[in-house]
Amino acid sequence: MSDGTRQNLDRWEDLHVARLLFGLSPEEQVEYEALARTMPAETGDEFERLIAKIDVAWADSKALPPHLRESIRAKAIAEIMQARQNTSPLSDISRPPSRQMNLLPWAIAAACLVVSFVTLTANRNPPVVPQDFAEMRANLLSSAKDLIELKWADGPTPVAGAEGDIVWSHALQQGYMRFHGLTVNVPTTEQYQLWIFDKNQSEKTPVDGGVFDITSTGDVIVPIHSKLHVANAYLFAVTIEKPGGVVVSSRDRLPLLAAVK
Amino acid sequence: MPLLPRIALGDTTAVDECLDRYGALVWSLASRLSPTNADAEDAVQEIFIHLWRNASRYRDDMGEEVTFVSTIARRKLIDRLRKFRRDQAHQSPDELDRVEVGNPGLSAIDHSDDSRRAVACLEKLRENERQAIELSVYHGLPQSRIAEQTGTPLGTVKTLIRRGLVQLRNCMKIGSRLHAEGGVSV
Repeated sequence: MSDGTRQNLDRWEDLHVARLLFGLSPEEQVEYEALARTMPAETGDEFERLIAKIDVAWADSKALPPHLRESIRAKAIAEIMQARQNTSPLSDISRPPSRQMNLLPWAIAAACLVVSFVTLTANRNPPVVPQDFAEMRANLLSSAKDLIELKWADGPTPVAGAEGDIVWSHALQQGYMRFHGLTVNVPTTEQYQLWIFDKNQSEKTPVDGGVFDITSTGDVIVPIHSKLHVANAYLFAVTIEKPGGVVVSSRDRLPLLAAVK
Repeated sequence: MPLLPRIALGDTTAVDECLDRYGALVWSLASRLSPTNADAEDAVQEIFIHLWRNASRYRDDMGEEVTFVSTIARRKLIDRLRKFRRDQAHQSPDELDRVEVGNPGLSAIDHSDDSRRAVACLEKLRENERQAIELSVYHGLPQSRIAEQTGTPLGTVKTLIRRGLVQLRNCMKIGSRLHAEGGVSV
């Protein structure tokens, strides 16, 4: 190995280790990428795996705090259910917002695997027991100690016959909306969006509670996906927005409201 | 048995098992590599959501699942830490509300061959190499802080960490080969 090559390797290893342990500055990143093109890929992977093994060896045994575990669990199940619904257009439950298209490859892969799995192992494995939003909502009702339960009321631009309720837990940062009679939307034209008004936030900038679709005028349950931590909600509002939702709503079309008494 | 393939299949019952098996590992890493306790909690949520979404990427031939989870966790945490440090450039790390951590010991949550070998190989390093790795990997200190804390020039710190990791890598390879051949594991 020539001196130049040796120096390049040393420098690249320095940068690579720094990248794994501390992160690189933009300048270092450029240098790292230039050098990486001349280095064997497996060398980098080896260091990353090695550090991961040290992390495992040195990990503490302290369990996740219960509230954190419960919150992650609920989000995981919501994610899995959403992915399932992406592959199940006949579902009664609201479809996930189209802006979460990054889930699509996952959902397709999961669907393919499900088909393979069922075909290959139907006689050898126990069936997978699905949980739906109704079950998850029921779990929240039984586990949250600070549950807010509100009925939807007409907003400034009501939809005749639309009703339902909303449940929310500040401690768990989870909640579900139920609707009945709300107009089915065409996702490529418009979508519903939830806004959460928090006493710690300006009235002008409520928290985005997620974009969703209504696929049936029957009973529909939609999980709340708050984009920020909600400390003290005092009002929930559903607006109709362009596909993908908006950052700031004009509030021109606001069919449903639920105020905390 | 790996759990991520089950999650990729949509098996919600694997979520609890996954949290049981990897919750402490991810929480431990996040606690050490996050500037505040609140940030550690956010990070853990982000890591697990990333794991659910990428569960189908894990394959048996990629090595132990726990190593995969640990790799994903560290990548996310370093990204977050780098962003945090950039945002807080004016603030010294000493001023940050760091989560208190002790010293590393062999994990009580995993005794896989890999983790046992890693600990055995760490013991073989020179004291200053092991210390540099401990301060960087376990405590998440930046190189400049390690230099300051150990009274070692910055360039030497970089060399100690790199040299220590190269030796660990070589030691792990030998241990792995001996183990595979039925010999004595390091």
